[in-house]
Amino acid sequence: MEIGFLNFYSGVLGASQDRAALIANNIANADTPGFKAKDIDFATAMAAQAANPDHTADTSQYRASGAVGLDGNDVSLDGERVEAARNAETMGAASTFLHQSTADLVMALRPNPSGN
Amino acid sequence: MSGSNIFSIIGSALNAQDARMGAIASNLANVDSITQPGGVPYRAHEVVFQADPDSDPATGAPDAPGALGESGPTDSGVAIAGTVLSNAPLKTTYDPGSPYADPQGYVTGSNVSQVSQMVDLVDSSNSYAASVAVLQQASRVDQQMLSSFQES
Repeated sequence: MEIGFLNFYSGVLGASQDRAALIANNIANADTPGFKAKDIDFATAMAAQAANPDHTADTSQYRASGAVGLDGNDVSLDGERVEAARNAETMGAASTFLHQSTADLVMALRPNPSGN
Repeated sequence: MSGSNIFSIIGSALNAQDARMGAIASNLANVDSITQPGGVPYRAHEVVFQADPDSDPATGAPDAPGALGESGPTDSGVAIAGTVLSNAPLKTTYDPGSPYADPQGYVTGSNVSQVSQMVDLVDSSNSYAASVAVLQQASRVDQQMLSSFQES
């Protein structure tokens, strides 16, 4: 039996986990000469994750909006921290919803929901 | 769980910024160092960072530079490419009484600029703080995800 929401949340969590690693990498390289910040388009990454959960295709792209400094680096520390916070919220929300959906499913499977 | 490689990425960032702050501390300590004529004067050390090459987890071989990997984001943080010595001109002061003065009466000092070292220190400290913030956030997300599945 296919449980739809499990695939969905696995896609969400997988994509945001990849994104967290990319953002951490951007922050780690905030002082690296010539480094260009990378990010993923969340919708594309999630579609790829959902279509093929075992093989995660790299959908990362260079971020276009950054102002390039004299050393060729376009990482904005503040911008990356905002994105990291946004991503953390996404992961927290997905895990809460996943827990709730699982709890609902378990409740539906019980022969007598009010008892044990 | 947020990928465990977040922690290794941030670890590499903290290491790199730590090395940079060490070099800055050494430069500031030597800002007033002087040398005898003919000696090697102190030149400011500058730590150079490079993005850790995307190593393919399967083979361990680095991808071609600039190419994005095929099997998920494999960037693994920042590495120290090396330390270079600054080419800035050396400071010389006229002090004929010093035992280190050359025949013209000039004493050769280091080429460390105190102001630019302090600016570097603030920049490094900012990056360090950002890395620590990401680390705390990652562990908070992990905690949150674990606790959302606790039996209530």
